[in-house]
Amino acid sequence: MSHSDKPPLTLERDVPVRPAGPPDPALHFAVQQFLFFEARLLDGGFYIEWLDLLTEDVHYFMPQIQNRLTRDATHQYSRSAIAYFDDDLRSLSLRAKKLNDPFAWTEMPPTRQSRLVSNIEVEPADSPEKVKVHSTFVHHRGVGEDDEYYMSGRREDVLRRDGYSFRLARRLVLIDQHVLLANNLNVFF
Amino acid sequence: MAYQKATLSPTERPDLTTMVNTEEGWLDRRIFTDESIYTLELERIFGRCWNFLAHESQIAKPGDFVTTMIGHDQVIVARDEQGAVNAFLNSCSHRGNRVCMAVTGNTQNFVCNYHGWAYGLDGRLKGMPAAGVYQEATSRYDKTKLGLKPLAQVATYKGLVFGCFDPDAPSLDDFLGDFRWYLDIVLDNDEGGTEFLDGSIKSQIACNWKIPAENFVGDSYHAIWSHASAAKTLFGKPVRPRGLDKTFHASVNGHGWGVGLDGVGNAQATGSKVIVDYWRSREEEIVARLGKLRSKMVAASSSANVFPNFGFLPGHSVFRVWLPTGPDTMELRTWTLVNRNMPDEVKDAYRRASAFTFSPGGVFEMDDTGNWESATRAHKGLITSQQKLHYGLGLYQDVKTHPDLPGRVTPNMFNDANQLSFYQRWADLMSAERWSDVPQR
Repeated sequence: MSHSDKPPLTLERDVPVRPAGPPDPALHFAVQQFLFFEARLLDGGFYIEWLDLLTEDVHYFMPQIQNRLTRDATHQYSRSAIAYFDDDLRSLSLRAKKLNDPFAWTEMPPTRQSRLVSNIEVEPADSPEKVKVHSTFVHHRGVGEDDEYYMSGRREDVLRRDGYSFRLARRLVLIDQHVLLANNLNVFF
Repeated sequence: MAYQKATLSPTERPDLTTMVNTEEGWLDRRIFTDESIYTLELERIFGRCWNFLAHESQIAKPGDFVTTMIGHDQVIVARDEQGAVNAFLNSCSHRGNRVCMAVTGNTQNFVCNYHGWAYGLDGRLKGMPAAGVYQEATSRYDKTKLGLKPLAQVATYKGLVFGCFDPDAPSLDDFLGDFRWYLDIVLDNDEGGTEFLDGSIKSQIACNWKIPAENFVGDSYHAIWSHASAAKTLFGKPVRPRGLDKTFHASVNGHGWGVGLDGVGNAQATGSKVIVDYWRSREEEIVARLGKLRSKMVAASSSANVFPNFGFLPGHSVFRVWLPTGPDTMELRTWTLVNRNMPDEVKDAYRRASAFTFSPGGVFEMDDTGNWESATRAHKGLITSQQKLHYGLGLYQDVKTHPDLPGRVTPNMFNDANQLSFYQRWADLMSAERWSDVPQR
């Protein structure tokens, strides 16, 4: 279960680099449709079905955010610090199963959620079977009678080609909150 | 219809000793919602108890600091050039702005963003922009009197740094008392001592801070129902209470430990074989270090809380504070404790396990926080607030204590004994004018 030997994606605040060539509209559209379909599964709470979109060696990582001094060389996001999620397929499957259990009290009544996925950029990854995708999201949860949680963030994904579509191989989720303004994270971003 | 007023003004605060009934086993719900009681807690609980501040590993080098809160007071904890740990208010003597906005880091000075007043790692005022103007044009200007107010007492126990605003409070050793025997199980089961993994996770919970504190001080009972979905996921079936006759509640002055003797019960609930194997492989060594009895508690089914608001789970190794931000709101900060000598593979397993089990997304924690919020909300009802809460589990059982466990010990970890001891300590402190009036329990 250890991923400590392979840093997933950049955690440094690298200056974005402009693409070397023209965008591929067909590729971009296929990626976008994959992410939108994934969003619809997650919004509906179809977590078991969502697992089918993941590769066997998926790494789903959502670090905590530490407020640091501006001059501090240590980045706010740290690979080695305790995290919100640092998951492989096994632990994601357990989480999905738990949320589907009739005794999962966070889901009684069921959580309502919807998200906007935007700012999708597709760039080549280190092999032709993969693409790297940047996107942003705004996610809303309605819980119980009147509890509402908005969260927004950025994602860096690696998608692996699977027929005419993709599977998610890596996801880095960076949210904007230092103190989580919610009592739980019973959702996936 | 006759009913009591739901909200009590400071002048008509009830006799707090009557709100906690340990003889009959009930609580007055208003201790969870009332503003005047909460205000008194800030003074009499957080203002004079020892509060957990940091683990020494977080501030290992000179210049290292963390920021935290005691009650609503913002606090900086910093190691100075001489290696001493200092704790002082994070609020400028000039206009009150916080002088440190970061949660952790390394620095030489804490410089206020507002006018640039600069303080040292010991909280002393070092200087400010245009300092000459102050020296020349300000009568009775005395830089030495303008430092950041230090805490009255700072002390450590086996790596844990605690601080206290009250100069008359007992020493940290006396405050912890015999509970140190229990703390050693998690802090001293290896010769290399302990450290916190990097980082802490903070989350807001709309509940009274005492609800999670009492949950950790001894509420093993909730696990079978609250955590049924997580247990079914991890073990394929809900956890059934077994061998409860070999479990205990133990408390010392409001600190409490729900004692399981199954060795690795909590470690198994991390879902990590690496973690379970680590504890099993060290069994003989731990017996030699802590004795047979405590070796069976090292990662067992158990939970604990150091009064007032520092809770932890042996085996899961999550350590957290329940920081009050209002009568019905709090901030949870959680860290992961590991033995310094643990192999990196085990430390990493703990890092991942704490995200999986006891973090906001954790399969155990998420089912707790919603219940705590929901109870806090329900307590606010006018008529509801007058309905006492039942805390009588195990109250009239024959008390057969364990001969080798220190403190107030009762059999069976499905029990309200530790919770009642926690609230008794709370009531003792809330009703006492001074520390000398607070009884030992």
